[in-house]
Amino acid sequence: MAMPGTLDSANLNGGQKLAVKYFTVALALFGAQIVFGLLAGIQYLKPDFLYGVLDFSVNRMVHINALVVWLLFGFIGSSYWLLEDEAGIPVVGLRLGNLVFWVFTLAVAVVVVVYLLVQIGPGDHSTLWLINEGREYIEAPRWADIGIVACVLAFFFNVAATFAKGRYTGIGGVLVLDLIALFGIYLAGMFYTPNISVDQYWWWWVIHLWVEATWEVLVGCLMAYGLMQTLGVRRKIVETWLYIEVALMFGSGILGLGHHYFWIGTPEYWFTIGGFFSALEPIPLVAMVVHSVFDSGTHNMKNNNHPALAWIIAHAFGNFFGAGVWGFMHTLPQINLYTHGTQWSASHGHFAFFGAYATLVIAFFYLALQKWRGNVWMSGGLAGAWRWKWALGLLNLGMVGMVMAMLVAGYEQSQIERAIEGSSWVGYFVAQAHPWFVQGMWWRQVFGWMFAAGFVLLVWDLLTLGRGERRPAQAHSESAPR
Amino acid sequence: MSHTEWWASESFWRKTAIWVTAGSFVALIFLTLDSMSAITAGSTRVPAYSVINHRIDYVFDEKRNFQVPVIGVEEPLFDQTLTEAEAEALVSRGKLTTQAKNCMNCHTLLGNGAYYAPDLTKAWLDPSWGSKDVREQMMVDFLMNPQDRLHNGLGRRMPNLGITEGEARATVAFLKWMASIDTNGFPANFTPIDQSDPPADDASAANGSPIPQQGG
Amino acid sequence: MIEPVALQDFFLTFFSAAMVILCGALYALLFAYARVRRRQRLMPLAYLAYLGLVASVLVLAMAANLFATGFWTFIVMLMLIGYLLAPHAIWHLCVGTHAHDHPDQESGPYQKQS
Ligand code: HEC
Ligand code: HEM
Ligand code: HEM
Ligand SMILES: [Fe+2]
Repeated sequence: MAMPGTLDSANLNGGQKLAVKYFTVALALFGAQIVFGLLAGIQYLKPDFLYGVLDFSVNRMVHINALVVWLLFGFIGSSYWLLEDEAGIPVVGLRLGNLVFWVFTLAVAVVVVVYLLVQIGPGDHSTLWLINEGREYIEAPRWADIGIVACVLAFFFNVAATFAKGRYTGIGGVLVLDLIALFGIYLAGMFYTPNISVDQYWWWWVIHLWVEATWEVLVGCLMAYGLMQTLGVRRKIVETWLYIEVALMFGSGILGLGHHYFWIGTPEYWFTIGGFFSALEPIPLVAMVVHSVFDSGTHNMKNNNHPALAWIIAHAFGNFFGAGVWGFMHTLPQINLYTHGTQWSASHGHFAFFGAYATLVIAFFYLALQKWRGNVWMSGGLAGAWRWKWALGLLNLGMVGMVMAMLVAGYEQSQIERAIEGSSWVGYFVAQAHPWFVQGMWWRQVFGWMFAAGFVLLVWDLLTLGRGERRPAQAHSESAPR
Repeated sequence: MSHTEWWASESFWRKTAIWVTAGSFVALIFLTLDSMSAITAGSTRVPAYSVINHRIDYVFDEKRNFQVPVIGVEEPLFDQTLTEAEAEALVSRGKLTTQAKNCMNCHTLLGNGAYYAPDLTKAWLDPSWGSKDVREQMMVDFLMNPQDRLHNGLGRRMPNLGITEGEARATVAFLKWMASIDTNGFPANFTPIDQSDPPADDASAANGSPIPQQGG
Repeated sequence: MIEPVALQDFFLTFFSAAMVILCGALYALLFAYARVRRRQRLMPLAYLAYLGLVASVLVLAMAANLFATGFWTFIVMLMLIGYLLAPHAIWHLCVGTHAHDHPDQESGPYQKQS
């Protein structure tokens, strides 16, 4: 065993060694996401910036694809992270898992290089197969789709086979079923149709059923594990609550899909379905609030990893505000008619993606770091603790600032472009030229730089936190695994 | 040690989770089957591709309380009446072009996509094309060479995406077809281009430059 | 089916919708806190938050013209009743699921002796 306080893979089990590889790539892609977000943001202010070289469409595509892929890498890494702890045995087929990691990473790199250098192609199927599919978030060309499915099948084999051979915990069972759903849904986005209504119908299956159903349940599994690790909550309780959450999330989230079917050609009954389930969607969030108060009342918040817990708390708030509050504000068709496809959507999209998912993956980065350094002390009185605190503050403030800036812009846009001007070409630019909008875009950029500064600190912190720390991690008040 | 009530037990909630998920999913499947039949091309909500042979308008419907597309007299695109198969091939080529050129990462279509450029749901009906006689050609010209056609005070131009004439015409067909989809009144309050037939003494060309400077 | 929001009601719609969720959470939070810490004095505050929720739901219903049709009126009712009962139900679930933790759940405060 190495000295505590140094990064040493001897501190990790097989699955965790693979996990930290996925985490490393995830962090790099997070950086790329920010760079291209900033470029796209600048183009709102200075339209000639990189015009004809890296057009807005290219920057935005890389921005949101990097987002989706770094979160998926974070989730896959997190799953490998908890796999051996949960199943009680070494990962089955780990060599395959390692090989697939490199193939997957290489494929992502090739896709991005083609996005940047080739960008677009002729209007026929060859472009969809080789360059990009031109469908938001799932632009990856068809060859990459197939590659992704193959890689993910291998990952799935690792997870399912390990649980099957070891023991199937409740978390394990939910995780396996959820992964089937998560990647099964991806298939719904892998076909071509000339019919834009049919296209968008299935496109939303992928996007909505990911972020409001399967991803929520996946982070539910990760949270369950994280709570046992950081707070030492008992397994039976954690797992019962995981089931409750699955019931509430899927019960409201699956048919909540209706809130995307108001205006794409689909029948009017989706108004009713979308409205009804949107009214239910806050219930799981209320459940989490009550339960977390209950838990903090019954466990005295002694925890062994302060940065991780701080990010878990950020996750709870972010999920509540970004998805719950921001989602509900524009979800009823009576108002969505005017907010649909404006900066309003962008405000909500940023808040929810960051609040619900980016935060939790970052929490796992810290859990991994602690163990990697030999399970060292990461509670109060840590050397250089200012770094993680400032990173936390800058990232969250930067995000909230961007979200507010887009909210103001979207508020103006929904009124002037959508309601007054009837969404015409002229009306669009009247709204874009309004001072509230223009200033909103400037503030988005300013807070974007703040966010980027937070990211730099985060990386620095992940490279240094706990280095040379000799104290062992603080013990739990209760012991976690059964 | 008190026992756990049945309604708070792990097994009850495991079963509930499974049933709720399965139930919602089955409901979604049925709704999907129904929606698919309502939105296949050729249904009332999503017209057949050969609708591009006709005039398409967007008119307020008192009963439904919002604007709906209205399919009018024959008005073939580029003066060519197409069969259903030909129309589908043309629209499909246009759709492929929108995907290959990544239009959705600047524009919204049916309100979904990116917010850097105007919504294209009713682009076919946009009054800024000037008059209906020049519209088709204006659209083709614009798509092929947008870089030197700026129409807003912000300096935000669409880049040249290497669109060929064939692709541009197909894209216009796609846009025309898309304008015929019944979107439950989105976008609201939209004023379509004047498509009424000109009075005998054709006075409509008097408007000067068909695409005026506009905005900011 | 729906009666879209009038221009002058946009702000009210966004604001009241946000307040519905915020009051709902505040009510749930105070409710749980009052019970878990055995501070009955906080209970009136919890119900005050719920009153805030009722007001927000009603304002939202007016601004978004929800009373225009039977179905949306039903949604309003659902929100009013659902959000009143949800924290109670969830509280019982908390107590129920933690039964093994706290054998004497009905008597002692929910404080871990540590
Ligand atoms: C890099 C961003 C970008 C991409 C990609 C892009 N556009 Fe545009 N588009 C714009 C901008 C900006 C304008 C506004 C131009 C102006 O006002 O001068 C515009 C204007 C238009 C208009 C006129 C607006 C209206 O409401 O009718 C149409 C039609 C159009 N684009 C179609 C397309 C199609 C089709 C594609 C894909 C083949 C596409 N655009 C790809 C940025 C883009
Ligand atoms: C973590 C959970 C969530 C995430 C990550 C998320 C993310 C997003 C994103 C990125 C979009 C924009 C999609 C696009 O590009 O067009 C979007 C749209 C939308 N979301 Fe969410 N969302 C979440 C939860 C919710 C919830 C709980 C609600 C409702 C209560 C909601 C309501 C909506 C609506 C109505 C739209 C459509 C916006 C429009 O019409 O343009 N979302 N969401
Ligand atoms: C430096 C910080 C960032 C900047 C400047 C930035 C900027 C942008 C811009 C300009 C767009 C295009 C919006 C449009 O179409 O008009 C965008 C889209 C998007 N960004 Fe960011 N971004 C940043 C960080 C993030 C982060 C951290 C996340 C999530 C974790 C994120 C998630 C998204 C999503 C989901 C969209 C699509 C939204 C939609 O279609 O509604 N961004 N971003
Ligand atoms: Fe959604």
